[in-house]
Order: sequence, then structure tokens, then C-alpha cells
Amino acid sequence: MVSFRQVNKSYGAVRAVADLNLELHPGETVALLGPNGAGKSSTLDLLLGLRSADSGTVTLFGTTPQRAIEQGKVGAMLQSGGLMEGVKVKELVGLARDLHPRAYPLDHIMATAGITEIADRMVDKLSGGQEQRVRFALATAGANDLIVLDEPTTGMDVSARQTFWGAMREQARQGRTVLFATHYLEEADEIADRVIVLHRGRVLADGTAAEIKARAGARRVTFDLDEPVDRDALRGLPSLTSLAVSDSGAGAGSGRRTVRIQSQDADATVHALYGLGLYPHNLEVSGLGLEQAFIALTTASDQAPATAEEAAR
Amino acid sequence: MTTLIKLEIIRALRNKKFMFFSVIYPPALYLIIAGGADSKPIPGMKLDMGLYFMVSMAAFGAMTAVLLGNSERIAKEREKGWVRQLRLTALPGRGYVAAKIAAAATVSLPSIVLVLLVAALVKGVRLDAWQWAAIAVGTWLGSFVFAALGVAIGYLATGDAVRPIAMLFYFGLAFLGGLWMPLTILPQWVQNIAEWLPTHAYAALGTAVEAGSAPHAKDIALLAGYLLVFAGSAAWLYRKDTRRA
Repeated sequence: MVSFRQVNKSYGAVRAVADLNLELHPGETVALLGPNGAGKSSTLDLLLGLRSADSGTVTLFGTTPQRAIEQGKVGAMLQSGGLMEGVKVKELVGLARDLHPRAYPLDHIMATAGITEIADRMVDKLSGGQEQRVRFALATAGANDLIVLDEPTTGMDVSARQTFWGAMREQARQGRTVLFATHYLEEADEIADRVIVLHRGRVLADGTAAEIKARAGARRVTFDLDEPVDRDALRGLPSLTSLAVSDSGAGAGSGRRTVRIQSQDADATVHALYGLGLYPHNLEVSGLGLEQAFIALTTASDQAPATAEEAAR
Repeated sequence: MTTLIKLEIIRALRNKKFMFFSVIYPPALYLIIAGGADSKPIPGMKLDMGLYFMVSMAAFGAMTAVLLGNSERIAKEREKGWVRQLRLTALPGRGYVAAKIAAAATVSLPSIVLVLLVAALVKGVRLDAWQWAAIAVGTWLGSFVFAALGVAIGYLATGDAVRPIAMLFYFGLAFLGGLWMPLTILPQWVQNIAEWLPTHAYAALGTAVEAGSAPHAKDIALLAGYLLVFAGSAAWLYRKDTRRA
């Protein structure tokens, strides 16, 4: 229903989207992840027909983005989407209803977005979180088949965020496809049934959150070393995907170093570590969160050796 | 689409400061410019200064509100991203342009009526009832042309560039179209250009009525043509706007 085929988009010398291929299927909830400048917003802009691709094709429901939008099949909440000023919240939502071919009743939209109590407030007088909820109401003013959200919960407090995702889950349960870009990796982990990691305009990984974590190196091994660190020897450990060495906080003067390793097979890595004749203190083996997996994937793709700064993030 | 038109009108009425100055400015300008003018006829025309400036200041004032007001407001709305949001709805380009013209027309109508009132009450201008009505309606409808131009300029330019560009059109068209001084006292080559400008045709609607005849078909056709071109390019630019202003 959404498909990108060999899509390219550059701004001057910067390639924002490079040979992007992507298919979304009905009923999926998909998270789009990527560091700043990975091409998330450009991808969404192309999908919504706000920009046109240099080459390749973007189709929505078998037609152009613009046509699909005119048919009321797509609801979107943009990070950069402003609101009309000088009108009341309910007037603005009324406008969105009027423009949607399959609009929901006004009360229903307002209640779902949690803006019933600010219905008579002027749009210019809203807080950031309230504005965000109004944007959400505009995006869900009618029955869309696809909902596109660009960093939707920015500026929302915890409870607003929960309400928001509750409403989104409800939309997904009704068979709608939800695509969202986010900075909050726990949101992607909890909500999305598919995660797409973008990096430098390309798809770096595509799968469930669990698959992404597994791909990135399933475990993190942390320990301290008193003896001088031989980085090359550590890098030679089996199943290692990334290595970071830093001064340990406590013994900065003592020469004690903290080593952080990501490994596909922590048992083999630790076994080999002892085989090097080292004595690791405070050894910890833990599972990777999606966030570390994400960092591991993107740094590995940059092919830069992992540094202390990156591990510290 | 009707909701958008309604909302744009409501917004214009709610913006009291903008409304106040847009409405007060044309009659004030009329009093200043025509204030000292006597009832001597203008060389080469059948009208005196008071009559001439009533029509041209009504036209100029209406143009101020709709051209400058529209272009700046639209450029601001693009910057804030409202237009991006609007483009994700099923609204066609012509709906957007129609709503903007309607909002501008809401502001221009009272300013036109006020200039005519001041002319009648302060300057003692006397005309037949049909002439008053025809001048008011003609000037009001003619302001749609400049409202459409304002929308187009709001789309051509971004941010800081809007004001100077709008000003260039505004003063250029006003001067060359003869809104500030009768064209008959300007050089022939200016008159040759002026004849084809929307501002000249716009003022000519009113002066024809003042002289006791119907507006010339050529002027009406010219204005209709300009309206189509301006509104068409404004709608096209709205749909085309892929830049993140």
C-alpha cells in the first residue's frame, strides 16, 4: 500500500535519500528510526508528496501521494506542521472535518485527542503539548487508511504520551497502518511491530524490535581492567561487534580502565577474555536495549572504530 | 472548503488592529491628499480633484489592505508550517485562494465605504444613488484582483523578501496606474504603459461611473484577465510549494 522503489533525493551535494526501497503493509505499526540527518523527515515528505523525488517512484494505495491525500486516505501529523492562528480549537478541528471525505463526529475527535476541555481556547494561546494534541486531532479527523506521524509526542508529558499511544493502538487495532518517526526508542520498542532503521538515507535494518536487537549484537559485556589495555587483543575476541575503553570513574588516577563490549555471543567472548590471561573486575553481562542496538548498528555502518564518546551515549 | 472561507473571514474580523488600520488608512489618506484640492477640473478630464481622488483613494486603500495584508500573512503562514499542514488535506488549490480572497474582501469593503462616506460628508461630493452603489461594488470587486496578486506574492517570496517585493508591486502599480495623480499630467509613455495595468483599469471603473457612464468593457475584461492570471498562478504555487519555507 505504501511503496518506495529506488527513490533518490538530494539537496545540493547532500544525499538525503539514497536508493530507498520500502514496502508497508496494511495494519502494520511501523517505527522509523535514525539519527538526525538520517533522512526520516525527507522520507516522510516524499511519502506525503510534499517533496518530489529526483528519481524512483513513491506510490500510496497504487496512486500518487497527492491523489491518495485528495481521496482522504492519509492523515498526517508533521513536526513542522503549523496551526492556523486566530481561530478556536474547535473551529480548526471543524475545518479538518469539513475537508475530510469520511470525517468523524466533532465530539468524538475532540475526546480521542483529549482536547475537549480546550475546545474554546484560541489556537495561538496553547502550550506545546496542547498544540501537539490539536495536530493529532487534525490528523485523525476522519477515517484514514494510513496515519503518518513525525515525532508525534515531542513536547507531551508522560500522561499525554500514554493517552496518545493508547489512541494510536486503537487506530492500529481497527486495521489502519501507522507509520511514525521518533526519537524515543522505547516508543518504537513498545509500540511498533516493525522497526525500520534509516541511516544516511538508506534502510540499515528492517524487522521487529527483537530482530533489530539481535542483529546489533545481543549482549553487552562490561568490566574493569587494572593492567594496561591491549585494544588489539580485545578487538580479536570472538563474536565482538563493538569495543569501547574509558577511564573508570572511580580510579581515574589509578590507571583502571572500563571496557564495554557488545557481543553476538557473550559466553564465547567472556571465555576468550579469560583465555587472554586478563583479570576482569566487576564483570557484568546484560541485554541490549533498542537504543544501544541502534547506536551499534549505525556506528558499525559508519565503519568507525567505537570510541569512548559513542559508548558513553 | 466553505468552512475555510468562513474561518478566514472570522479571523480577519477578529484581528482588530489590522482591521482598524486597514479601514482607517484610506479615508485618512483621502483627506490629506484631496483636502487642499479645489474643485477645478483636471486638465484633459471631466472630473475635478475631489471626485478623482475619491475613486483612486478608495482603490488605493483597498489595494493596501488586500495586497500587503495577504502577501505578508501568507508568507508567515508558510513559515510556520500551516500551509504544509493544509496541503495534507483534500483542499484544492482554488479553495485556498478563494478563502484568502474572501478574507481580504472582508477587510476592503468597509474601507471603501468609509472613503465614499468621507467624500460625501466632508468633501461634499454629490452623485446619483446608482453611481454611489456602482462605485462601491466596482471598487470592491476590483480589489479581488489585488487580493489574488497578494496570494501569489506570498508564495513567490519567503520571509524577509516578501515585504520589499510586495511594496514594489504596490507602489509601482499605484503610481503607474495613476492612483496618486491623474495620468493626464504624466508623460505620454507612462500613459501608454498605464493603460494596460490592472490599477489603471481598476480606477477607471470608478471614474467612468463618476462621469455618468458605465465602466468600459475593456477595463472590465482587463481586470477579469488579471484576476484569472493572478488567482491561477496563486493556486498553482500553492500546490507546487515543496519548499519548507
